[in-house]
Amino acid sequence: MSPDQFNEKRHWLTTWSPYLAAFAVAAAAVILWYGFVDGITPAYVITSAKEGLPWIILILGISVAVLLGLSLRLTQLTRERKKSLELISEQFKKEISTRVHSEETKQKLEKALLQGQKLQAIGTLAGGIAHDFNNILYAIIGYAGIVREDVQKDSMAYQNLGKVLDAAKRGQELISRILTFSRRQHHEFEPICLEETIEGVLGLMTPTIPASVTINFTADTQAKKIVIEGNQTQLHQVLVNIINNSVDAMDGEGTINIKLSHVPDHDPLLAQFPEIQPGLYCRIDITDTGHGMDQATMARIFEPFYTTKEVGKGTGLGLATAHSIIKEHRGETVVESQLGHGTTFTLLLPEHSEKEENSHGKDSVS
Amino acid sequence: MAKILLVEDDDLVRDMLAQVLTRASHEVHSATNGDEASEYLQTTEPDIMVTDIIMPKKSGITLISEVRDKHPNMEIIAISGGGRLDPTGYLDLSESLGATVSFEKPIDNAALLMAIDLLAHGKQEEPT
Repeated sequence: MSPDQFNEKRHWLTTWSPYLAAFAVAAAAVILWYGFVDGITPAYVITSAKEGLPWIILILGISVAVLLGLSLRLTQLTRERKKSLELISEQFKKEISTRVHSEETKQKLEKALLQGQKLQAIGTLAGGIAHDFNNILYAIIGYAGIVREDVQKDSMAYQNLGKVLDAAKRGQELISRILTFSRRQHHEFEPICLEETIEGVLGLMTPTIPASVTINFTADTQAKKIVIEGNQTQLHQVLVNIINNSVDAMDGEGTINIKLSHVPDHDPLLAQFPEIQPGLYCRIDITDTGHGMDQATMARIFEPFYTTKEVGKGTGLGLATAHSIIKEHRGETVVESQLGHGTTFTLLLPEHSEKEENSHGKDSVS
Repeated sequence: MAKILLVEDDDLVRDMLAQVLTRASHEVHSATNGDEASEYLQTTEPDIMVTDIIMPKKSGITLISEVRDKHPNMEIIAISGGGRLDPTGYLDLSESLGATVSFEKPIDNAALLMAIDLLAHGKQEEPT
């Protein structure tokens, strides 16, 4: 029943019910009245009443039945209307929820786009500066080399020119790192077992990490089989950069827990990234017991050249490069941190499937 | 000793490379862009052309593609810092167009001199 039909019926019932009731009462009164007018005596009244009583009872009974029926119908209509209103209300709630979700998604996309554009712009700028600076460094290295040939090998000038060359070469390495970040290089992608990759990185890094730092790596039975489509060297770089960052954040003392696991379907973590491609994902959580970060630092943590380390201790490219590489692997990087309570970096990566192997091809990045 | 045409738009790099090559006893003629190099090549054929890739007026890529057929005996060494793009892309392209060898800047000058010596030596051994 449509809301209009319902309103029409309700209006009819509420309008006519009192009249019907009044009519029934009036009919009874008329019968009684005629009785009093025609046969004035009480005996006549009693006789008439006795004769009319069945009629009165009949009429009153019919009236009560009609009223009862109407009342029941009204109750039924009210129930139907209530249900209908509840349904409309539910639809409204769904509509509002969808709109709110869509607005949130839009905002997230805009934010991600803005962040992506910002990183791209910084990368392009850095690449441009790096190239020009490379030419300058090349001239310094070249001229220093020429002059060095002209001076005695045991002279102070020869040694000092060696230092000029060393400094220029350090600059060259820095430029090389900047260019690695800003250039979109071609990397061969292949199926990679993540457990082996992580263990390989830990094996390489252990001698360089202070003994006061403990690193625990766990992967449950299912996670041991996780394979992704990626570039081994790049993933090494990501893990090395994040682990080094964690070691620095703990001032050389503490624990780093690394966990490899599958991401369950419909995990809220994936929902944070509306643009992420559908499919199976795995996660690597790297948690440290360091000093953590505030919100302002977290918001800028993946920006190139942003560093909280002392001058000369960090280039601000490690995490930016890691973020960029994970993006190239069609993944996402999540950071959670609280001042004084450590930091967790979560790397979300799409798992490799045979179907993907057939369609994706070997070469991956544009 | 080889006769070398050096094409490089960056003054500092060009002068430095010219000195490095001259000190290694090579005869060097410098050009600041592809147009100047083309003009020089109309009258002279060097043994080796060392050319930058990204230059104003005429780029190294255009220069190589233009002179390759006209000077089949001239060896070409391409050098590039890549501009704003991946240098290996330009260097691969220059080699596919006819450059004998290519180097990414900053170049190890000793390696460049070694390459020049090898190419010059090869030319000397070629039957005339």
